[in-house]
Amino acid sequence: MTDITGERPPLVELRDMKVSFGGVHAVDAVTVDLYPGEVVALVGGNGAGKSTLIRTLSGAHPADSGEIFIDGEIVDITTPKDAKDLGVETIYQTLALAENIDAPSNMFLGRELTTRWRTLNDSAMEAAARTVMGRLNPKFENFKVAVESLSGGQRQSVAIARAVYFDARILIMDEPVAALGPAETAQVNELIQQLKEEGIGIFLISHELHDVFDLADRISVMLQGKLVGTVNKADVTMDEVLAMIIIGKMPDQVTEVELEELHG
Amino acid sequence: MSRQRLRVFAPIILLMAFALVLAACSDSDDDGTTTSAAAAGETETETEGLIVGVSWNNFNEERWAKTDEPAIIAALDAGGAEYISTDAGSSAEQQLADIENLIAQGADALIILAQDGTAVIPGVQSAIAQGIPVIAYDRLIEDEGAFYITFDNVEVGRMQAREVFKLVPEGNYVFIKGNQADANADFLRGGQQEILQDALDSGAVVNVGESYTDNWAPEVAQTNMEQFLTANNNDVDAVVASNDGMAGGVVAALAAQGLDGVVVVSGQDGDGAALNRVALGTQAVSVWKDARQLGTAAGEAAVALASGTALPSVPGAIVFVTPGGNNMNSILLPPIPITQDNLDVVINAEWITVDDLCQNVPAGTVSVCG
Amino acid sequence: MADTSIAAPEQAPRGRGSDFGDTVRALEIDLRIIGMLVALAVIWVGFNLASGGLFLTARNLWNLSVQTSAVGVMATGMVLVIVTRNIDLSVGSMLGFVGMTMALIQAEVLPDIIGFDHPATWIIAVLAGLILGGILGGFQGWIVAYIGVPSFIVTLGGLLVWRGGAWALASGRTIAPMDSTFQLFGGGSRGSIGASLSWIVGIVACAGIIALLITNRRRKHSYGFPVRPLWAEIVFIAVACGAVLGAVAIANSYAPLDRDLGIANPVLILIAVTIIMTFVATRTKFGRSVFAIGGNPEAAELAGINTRRTVMLVFALMGILVGVGAVITTARLNAAVSGLGTLAELSVIAAAVIGGTSLSGGIGSVPGAVLGALVMQSLVSGMVLIGIDAPLRNIVVGIVLVIAVAINTYYRQRTEQLTA
Repeated sequence: MTDITGERPPLVELRDMKVSFGGVHAVDAVTVDLYPGEVVALVGGNGAGKSTLIRTLSGAHPADSGEIFIDGEIVDITTPKDAKDLGVETIYQTLALAENIDAPSNMFLGRELTTRWRTLNDSAMEAAARTVMGRLNPKFENFKVAVESLSGGQRQSVAIARAVYFDARILIMDEPVAALGPAETAQVNELIQQLKEEGIGIFLISHELHDVFDLADRISVMLQGKLVGTVNKADVTMDEVLAMIIIGKMPDQVTEVELEELHG
Repeated sequence: MSRQRLRVFAPIILLMAFALVLAACSDSDDDGTTTSAAAAGETETETEGLIVGVSWNNFNEERWAKTDEPAIIAALDAGGAEYISTDAGSSAEQQLADIENLIAQGADALIILAQDGTAVIPGVQSAIAQGIPVIAYDRLIEDEGAFYITFDNVEVGRMQAREVFKLVPEGNYVFIKGNQADANADFLRGGQQEILQDALDSGAVVNVGESYTDNWAPEVAQTNMEQFLTANNNDVDAVVASNDGMAGGVVAALAAQGLDGVVVVSGQDGDGAALNRVALGTQAVSVWKDARQLGTAAGEAAVALASGTALPSVPGAIVFVTPGGNNMNSILLPPIPITQDNLDVVINAEWITVDDLCQNVPAGTVSVCG
Repeated sequence: MADTSIAAPEQAPRGRGSDFGDTVRALEIDLRIIGMLVALAVIWVGFNLASGGLFLTARNLWNLSVQTSAVGVMATGMVLVIVTRNIDLSVGSMLGFVGMTMALIQAEVLPDIIGFDHPATWIIAVLAGLILGGILGGFQGWIVAYIGVPSFIVTLGGLLVWRGGAWALASGRTIAPMDSTFQLFGGGSRGSIGASLSWIVGIVACAGIIALLITNRRRKHSYGFPVRPLWAEIVFIAVACGAVLGAVAIANSYAPLDRDLGIANPVLILIAVTIIMTFVATRTKFGRSVFAIGGNPEAAELAGINTRRTVMLVFALMGILVGVGAVITTARLNAAVSGLGTLAELSVIAAAVIGGTSLSGGIGSVPGAVLGALVMQSLVSGMVLIGIDAPLRNIVVGIVLVIAVAINTYYRQRTEQLTA
């Protein structure tokens, strides 16, 4: 439902999400949202609950309670397939690639293209892969080797290609450049810019604040399962975000003393 | 997720616990009846109320329950002795504990079917040291203090070779032996060799193929026989197969070449299918060991030994020199070679029914079948 | 059909690496299979010399093909099991149990109901065996996939239970003989399809190979991918058809009892099973899932694959193939004994790993496993032929197994760069 002021509803809204593991609140009443063409970074220390929160959206781990809205409509996501059907594609920290099969097969895993006789159409899948990779990583050549022979950056592009091919409207990227060198990181960052321009909304999980400040439009900070707050990147400094991550206080509430302790 | 698994595992664990309790209970039931018998036995005179303990290696095998145990019990009853027993469940360690258990229950003599003939020796020696005579039942225990009762396996081999040689005094022979790790395989082969030695030396009989058979497996024997036939271009006249299962594989291989009933085959065990082959003429002989005889002999010997008879004085005892070089007092029961001429023996002994024996046998070819 | 609006991609640049690697990639040969064929040739020629020309006779080769069938059939299923990072140790015991069941049905159950040698007897027995195998396998698979007990343990339990069961079914008796039609599945003097039918099978196979090559070529071409040079395709066809027709000729030239036997029934079954299983493994979504689960089970889950169901089905499929193996073995022996199939799992697993299947999962080849079974059986039967007794045979087989797997492992590490 659109706001009466004429604002479009967010692309995705995760409202009041709660996930517990055996009595521990991994995610405790967190609400975040995402608009088309923007990057929202989810940051926080270890165990903050960022991955768990985002897995409720990607279908890898359904929430215990809370609601998910896409384009203002409430949706039910319990399996990865549900998420993909709604246009949510995820690039996991571990990439979730099967090492022993090739890039096109990984791209289409679970959603293979078939021939008229219901057999796998490897040629069609390879052709599609070539088209997508042509946009993302034009130098990529090794379409028929097992993924385990590819470099970290190449694997990353396969994972991204998978998400892009299926016309994701909402992209989740969990630590996309953590294992990459500077050149490859720049490549991925460029790609994210490209996708933003296409109107895709991106949830970005990263512990590298420099990358976050390069790419994100807004930043949501979590600490021990709770949401500390969401800020516009343009309105804050890295220090203030660091304070949010470590101390858990919004920029207008943190004291000078606490800020100094952070550096000291 | 783990809670879910616990829920599933819990009933399984409960079941296992229940089964364990059941097993323990049934064991103690045995203890109940036998200890009272033992108590009764202690107050009676030496020749009455004797207790004979039998240590089975694995009572689950059909033969022991169906054939040997009833024969032993009958012999013990006739001799006025009580029967107590344990089941080692195929564990050599368990059998040592079982032997102590039987002694504790007051056994005056032990019959031991060894799971492992070497591992059981400490238990045997302990019993003998306590004045309790030990009978090694069917399986060899290399200890001169024990009494060994078995079928003469070397004689089985001799009988196989004799029957085959009767029919084929000259020609090409193939030897299908048992499992290489089994001492019996070599006993049999040795007996066969004895009978055929002269003919082999003179060249009347030629050994054109010989192989151990993993696990005595019929399908392995079949494959090996096929290879031997190929190697000799079917020029094989006799096959000395060491048991009936393998003889079945041999006959299958021969049948594929149309040689069944032409090439002479031996076997052992009195297996129903083999006896049928003997009736049909595709197998010349199956050497039969009536396990009931073994049980009876052991029961009788146990009573004699428990009553104080010295080992060499047990009726029927001879001295047997074991492969380990031990001189053991033994009873070696004679097996019976069953050929087409004496099929009535197995019928009369109620070992096999006429119907099973005579399946597909053309009328008028075998007298027993009519 | 696929989206035809996908434009042809730019010409794929020349790959890096040696010329040999380029050639191999262009010809799309699996070097591993070639390697095994070379090894097989060496073994065959070696034994032929050692046996004075007896090994490479129609008779011995015909026998060899029959002797390989049961293990070969089961090895195709074992490949998928191992690929999913599991193992099945119960194969031999299950074979005994299923075989004994089928034998009892034919020899004791059905004769009372419909009489011995009734035309339907074999159908009922075979169906019962396949279904029973599928159920037992599926049950083991269910425990592995849904309860989470490691497959090593589950199938170790199965090894004990089914073996005890086989014994209990008939109290240790040998059950014989089998229904006369059922016996045909075992080969032997009556169990083959005859010369003319064999030629037909050979020609159909040849036509199938040509059709397959053409279809593949067309499809690749339609997407603008490079195809094998025409001369290579022709050579392939010539070699493949030559091998097929040559094999048929050899099978036909074996004529014991003055009847051209042709291809033995068990061998026909083996060939059919190999084709079907290769198809399932490489050309179906199910097969793709199996390999994905082996490569990265979590990735497979996240891709939406029902990993538990797939694993359970893999074990059920193994069970059905054990049923087929039981049919062949029982028919061939014309009897069922309670020890039937003892230790068969070792041969089956060995065949699979010699054929290139990796015990760490994710990598496997169905045709390779069948070749592996053939290599093993050639070794064993060849050694019996030249008079080598069991202890030495076992030593040789053990050594060859380790060497073969070592070569496979080395090959895997080295050629990831070479071949596409």
